[in-house]
Amino acid sequence: MTSAPVEVDRPDVRGEQQAAEETDRPWNTIVWNDPINLMSYVTYVFESYFGYPKTKAHKLMLDVHHRGKAVVAHGSREEMERDVSAMHSYGLWATLQRA
Amino acid sequence: MIAAFTRGPDGTVLVDLRAAEARLLTDLFGDLLELLTEQSPAAPRPDEGDPLAAQLGLDGLGDDTPPARPDDPALARLFPDAYPDDPDATAEFRRYTQADLTTERRRRATLALQSLERIKGGGRLSLAPGEATAWLGALNDLRLVLGIRLEITADDQEPGQDFGPGDPRTAYVPVYYYLGFLQETLVEALSG
Repeated sequence: MTSAPVEVDRPDVRGEQQAAEETDRPWNTIVWNDPINLMSYVTYVFESYFGYPKTKAHKLMLDVHHRGKAVVAHGSREEMERDVSAMHSYGLWATLQRA
Repeated sequence: MIAAFTRGPDGTVLVDLRAAEARLLTDLFGDLLELLTEQSPAAPRPDEGDPLAAQLGLDGLGDDTPPARPDDPALARLFPDAYPDDPDATAEFRRYTQADLTTERRRRATLALQSLERIKGGGRLSLAPGEATAWLGALNDLRLVLGIRLEITADDQEPGQDFGPGDPRTAYVPVYYYLGFLQETLVEALSG
C-alpha cells in the first residue's frame, strides 16, 4: 500500500436519476487514505456517523485504503461541509470537492 | 498481558489498567490537551471578546482574520484543509469550524483524564457509553499526533526505522503500537 493519494474515477454508477440530482447535490465528501488511522476505526466511523450498514462501511474503508480515497457522501455544499467537519472531528482526512 | 477493552453491562466498556499504563495515558492525554490549548490558533480566550457573542456561539464571527493552517504538522493533521485547491474556501471553513473542533477535542481529552483520575493506582476502569466514545476520539487524536511526530507516512512503514541512534522519539514507537492495540480493542468493544 502507498500513502500517496491516487487519482480515481468518479463513482462507478451514475444513473439517470443521479444525473438529474446533479444540480441539487453537486458536492462530494472525500476521505483520503492515511497510514495512521486503523482500518477498523474508519469502518466504525462510516457506520456510526453515516449510518451505513457494516458491509457498505467496510467496502468504503477498503476503497479508501486500496485506491487512496473514496467518495463517502454526496449532497449540497452545506451538507458536505457538515460531513467533512464531522470527519475531521473523528480524525479522518476529509475534503470537499465538486461532484 | 496488555490492557484490552471489553464490553461490560449496560453499554459500558471495561479496561484493566496497571498503574504504569494509567500514568502513561494520563501523561499523554495531558500533553494532547496542552498541544490543543497552547498551540491551536482557535483556542478560545475567555478574557477577550464579546461575552454575549461567546454565549451565543458567535464568537469570532466579527473577526475578519480566519485561523491559518496550523504550523505544527500534528495540528495541521488534526485540522486539515477542507478544500485542497481553494485557500479562501478553506480559510472560511476554518473560521466556522476550527474553534468548535478544538473545543470538542479538548472535551474528549479532558473526559478521558477525568476518568483516569478514578484509578490513579491502576485497576478496573468502567466507562459509560459517552465516556467510551470520548476515549475513542481522544485515543485517535493521540495516535495521529504521535504518528506525525514519528513521521509515519506510508502504510507499510516500520515506525522509527530511519531514526538515528539516540533519537528520543524511538521511545515512543512502542507507545504508538500500544495505543493502536488499545484503540483496536475499544473499536471492537463498541462495535460488537
